[in-house]
Amino acid sequence: MKHCAIDVKNLQKVFTTRIGFWSRKTKTTMAVEDISFQVQEGELFGLLGPNGAGKTTTVKILSTILLPTAGSVSVLGMDVVSDTRAVRERIGFTFGGARGLYGRLSGRDNLRYFAELYGLEPALSRQRIPELLELVGLAGRSGDRVETYSSGMQQRLHLARALLHDPELVYLDEPTVGIDPVGARELRRTIKGLVACGKTVLLTTHYMAEAEELCDRIAIIDKGRLMALDTPAALKKRITGDTLFEIEMKAEDLPALQGQLDSLNGRLSLEVTDSYPNKKVSIRTAQPERVMQLLSPFLSEQRIQGLEVHPHTLEDVYVSIVQGESS
Amino acid sequence: MNARWLRLFWRQVDVQLRIRTFDPYSLLLFFLQPAIFSGVGMVLSRAAGQAQPDLVYTVIGGGMLGMWSGLVFTSTFDITRDRRDGTLELIVASPTSLAMVEAVRTFTNVVAGLASMAAAVAAAVFLFDYPLASVDLPGALVSLGMIVFGMWSIGVFLANFPVWSRITGSYVEFLEIPVALVCGFMYPIGILPGWMQAISTAIPIRWALEALDTALLGTGGIEYYLRQWGMALALSLLFWGLAHWLGLKIHDRIRVSGEMSAI
Amino acid sequence: MMQTLARYVRLYLVQAWFAYRALFAWSTPFNYFVSKFGFSFFSMVLFVFMGRFVGLTDPVYIVIGNILLIPATNGVSGISMTVGNERQFGAMSYLLGSPAPRPPLFLGRALFHILDSFVTVAVALPVAILLFRLDTSETNFALVLLCVLVTSFTTSGMGFLMGSVSLVNRDGWMITSTLSLSLFILVGANFPVESLPEFLQTVSYSLPMTRGIMAARAALGGADWAAIAPLLAGEVLVGMFYVALGYGMFRVLERRSMVAGTLDNL
Repeated sequence: MKHCAIDVKNLQKVFTTRIGFWSRKTKTTMAVEDISFQVQEGELFGLLGPNGAGKTTTVKILSTILLPTAGSVSVLGMDVVSDTRAVRERIGFTFGGARGLYGRLSGRDNLRYFAELYGLEPALSRQRIPELLELVGLAGRSGDRVETYSSGMQQRLHLARALLHDPELVYLDEPTVGIDPVGARELRRTIKGLVACGKTVLLTTHYMAEAEELCDRIAIIDKGRLMALDTPAALKKRITGDTLFEIEMKAEDLPALQGQLDSLNGRLSLEVTDSYPNKKVSIRTAQPERVMQLLSPFLSEQRIQGLEVHPHTLEDVYVSIVQGESS
Repeated sequence: MNARWLRLFWRQVDVQLRIRTFDPYSLLLFFLQPAIFSGVGMVLSRAAGQAQPDLVYTVIGGGMLGMWSGLVFTSTFDITRDRRDGTLELIVASPTSLAMVEAVRTFTNVVAGLASMAAAVAAAVFLFDYPLASVDLPGALVSLGMIVFGMWSIGVFLANFPVWSRITGSYVEFLEIPVALVCGFMYPIGILPGWMQAISTAIPIRWALEALDTALLGTGGIEYYLRQWGMALALSLLFWGLAHWLGLKIHDRIRVSGEMSAI
Repeated sequence: MMQTLARYVRLYLVQAWFAYRALFAWSTPFNYFVSKFGFSFFSMVLFVFMGRFVGLTDPVYIVIGNILLIPATNGVSGISMTVGNERQFGAMSYLLGSPAPRPPLFLGRALFHILDSFVTVAVALPVAILLFRLDTSETNFALVLLCVLVTSFTTSGMGFLMGSVSLVNRDGWMITSTLSLSLFILVGANFPVESLPEFLQTVSYSLPMTRGIMAARAALGGADWAAIAPLLAGEVLVGMFYVALGYGMFRVLERRSMVAGTLDNL
């Protein structure tokens, strides 16, 4: 039976700042207004939202760096406010960007330092540090000063740092930002590997394809409030809208296709343009499965020279939710 | 102290020496600034018609200033730098308390500051022929140990302020010269007005430094030393207690304000 | 021509204001006040007691000298810190990569520091006069303020010189700090320049501030314009030399930093 790794109830976080040189007026900012969600053990949970939505604030509360203004947060059964040290021993986290490392120390020495902060025994440290450096692809540069690393390398070192003490729960705040596509793909593979090992991962990201590929469930937050929470597939079904098919075929096959599509009784729009020496047919429909069924014979008889399908993406969902257009 | 804390201690000392203590800023604080202040003292002596400057206060006092300035600035700079580099959050969020990390860092900074004192003593002995024969060596060494302990306790207390916020941290820097002023780093404390001397009675360094100066002049007795060291020790322990209490308050406060990563 | 001049003036003033605010924008009034006066005031008191210890019981010389040293701290440290901060926050590349003409871009950085210095001294001097009950019956205050204004300007050249080093060396502030501290010895703030060994006296007279402080002391003591004019003329000449040298070094090291790629190295 799976237990709840993270339990957030009515979380609120208000920041108070003073502005002005002489008068020092107080300004309050509601970074997180009222968020509740749960993350099950072994789950890869995504937290999405525009800049300033409250994602990083939420993650910082979960990692005990910030105290909530109101609400309760329990991590692995422990309260982040009263059981702070115990929580810290069992979680790992990275924040996006390259800050948070000692530039004048090598990658290896940075890990050694944090290993001591997390109380790793020397023997374990000696074993884990090379393993983690290998895992994140930095074994060859481990002796170089971090200030000579690229930002992508520093991000990867952060991941190694977060995993030093083999935490059960890992927060990854935009882990692939600034990393090249090849590196990002490898990092995603690593993240999947963490979940496969039984860890729970909470991921924040702006990359929709990444969230869709990795996450079991996704929460979308905006302006400090939870807007949606579901699996990627379920989220995509939340919005109505057409799927676009772009088909290239010979002109003489066109009447047969049109005849087949008549069975949809006009629940589609059809546009035919020239795509020498063929025709290009653009079909917009709210019944993509039915259209695929109708196209199957043409595909199997190789009467379609080219086919592109543009379904709803998670990005469409995200934009519609954030812009308030969800149905 | 168990093995884990010892390992952390040595690791933190190692990191601190490599990334902070031995950087150009320390060169300035430990050697250049004390040399300049001692230089002012020496030329003032010359302007006053004295053939030889007072080596205990003018030269060795400069070493004392170097130790203290080094502590004030490296300790505040440590936190400021951590805040700017983003490592402050990571340290706070680790299972090891920030207080522990700061205690070891501050200890490293204070002990490293002994280089300033060593340079000043070397200058006094080799450049100005200070007569070592008259020095009460055990008294001087114990007094120096008390100075180190006293500075350590004050340093740990003061380190809470830059953690609190960068503005409160900047106030700490302004303590550099006032403490040197009221504790009589570069002159006998007796020449200060009574009210200034009264302020320094609350600072452990003053008591230990008086004992050190007396030991260097070879004029102290055991009762005198015990009184001075007793005061230094008691006040140091008081500062430790205050540091602990303040640290707990600030740890919660910074997690409310979220200023840990603000540059 | 007029348009170009207007652009230069506007750029000079805008640069001056924003560069100055960038240094102090996070500050509170108390913090700003203490940063202006704190170190200078307490150092001055420390030197007074050091002087008392060796038998120099009249604090006036040290007090006046240290107050007049404040423009040096502002000019040298303030300007070089502005450059250093821009490197630290990654703005230097954008600044130097812009098409903005260099003279107002760089020289504008000194303006508010000069004004700041002037105001700081103008505030500190009366306070010192009251606190130490200095006899100002003979003082020519207009001349004193003129001396302060001139020295505020002349030390800005040193600020440029030190700031230019920060373009190629991340520890350039170290040289700045060393120089600022050296001024306690070298420019006659705490004792007459004649108390120094001869070779150091030569160094003193080649620095800005030395003649300015001498002129200000003379004006405080009631000297007239004819008496201090040669000192101020010398101060201005030395100052102009340092301004020209500082600006020149800035341009040379700007080029060098672009070749070596040191602009963004922290």
